[in-house]
Amino acid sequence: MITVFFRAGSELRLKLNPDVDYYTRRVETEPGKALRDILRQIGLDPAFVAFAYSEGKLRNLDYVPQDGQTITLQPPVSGG
Amino acid sequence: MSDKEKGRYLRQLGLEEWNQEKLKSARVFVAGVGGLGSASSLYLTAAGVGLLRLCDFDRVELSDLNRQVLYSEQSLGKLKVEEARLRLAALNPEVKIETLSEKIGERNIEHLAAGCDLIMDGLDNMETRFLLNSYSVQKKLPYLFGAINGWEGMASVIHPPWTGCLACLMPSLPSPSGLIPVPGFVPGMIGLIQAAEACKHLMGVQGTLLGRLLIYDSRALTFDLIDWEKNPACPVCG
Repeated sequence: MITVFFRAGSELRLKLNPDVDYYTRRVETEPGKALRDILRQIGLDPAFVAFAYSEGKLRNLDYVPQDGQTITLQPPVSGG
Repeated sequence: MSDKEKGRYLRQLGLEEWNQEKLKSARVFVAGVGGLGSASSLYLTAAGVGLLRLCDFDRVELSDLNRQVLYSEQSLGKLKVEEARLRLAALNPEVKIETLSEKIGERNIEHLAAGCDLIMDGLDNMETRFLLNSYSVQKKLPYLFGAINGWEGMASVIHPPWTGCLACLMPSLPSPSGLIPVPGFVPGMIGLIQAAEACKHLMGVQGTLLGRLLIYDSRALTFDLIDWEKNPACPVCG
C-alpha cells in the first residue's frame, strides 16, 4: 500500500472530509491506481474535480500518484 | 506624450521596462464588468491603456456592491457599462471607453471584440469563457483568463498557438449552479493580477503568466503557480 495526501479548498474540501488538517486528507491505496479510481475509492465523485496538481504541474485524473505525494484537487471555478 | 500625461504617469514611467506608448496604442476588450472586470478595468484605466471596450448586459444590484467597486448606491438599477464608463472616465479621461450592453454569443463575438488586441475575462460562467476561448484561438489573441469561487481565484495568460487554450486547461465543465459565494477581495486580487499581466503582455515585459496558472487561496494565504501544457488532442486548439 502507498500513502497519498489529498488537499482541497472551497466546497470540494467538505466532500474530501479532511483528517490531517483543515484542507488535507490522508489516503492509503494500492500502488499504480489512477487519481480517478482513488477518488472513487474514498467516495469522492471525480466529476466534482476540474483538475489536480502537484509539484507545480497540472495532473489529469489518469495520473498515478506516488507514495507520499500531496495532490491538490481543484473544483470548477467559474465566478467573476 | 503631453506634459499632463507625463505628470499623470510619472510614477510608472520611472520603471525601466515601462512603455507608455505601447499601452496607449492598446485596445482591450473587457468581457464583463462585475467583480473581476471592476478591478481590472480600474487599474487598466489608471495605467493609461488606450481603449477599453466594456461589454456587460447587466444592471447594478445591491448584492453587487460587496465586490464590484466601480459602482455605488447611486448606480443601483443602472446599466453597469454606463456606470463603469462614468467612473473610469472620471479617473482618467485620456482613456477611450467604449460600452456595449450586450450578451456575448456566437453570433456577435466577432463584432463585439473586433479590432481589440487582448481579451480580458470578467465573466461569471464557463460557457461564455469557452466561447471567448474559441475566438482567442481563431484570432490568435491573448486571453487573460480569470475566475473566482469562495476564498479562491485563479488567473492565466492564454495565447494560442504559443500556449494551449482554456479547453486544454479545463475540459468542458458546466458552471456550478446557484449563487457563488465570494468576498470582495478575491475578485479584487485576481482582477488586479489580470490588469498587471495585461499591461506586461502589452508592453512585452517578460515573466508573465503565459502558460502558467496562478491559484490564489485568500483563506490559506497561498499562491500556487502551475505549469500547464497544450493538449495535442485538444478539440479546440489541437
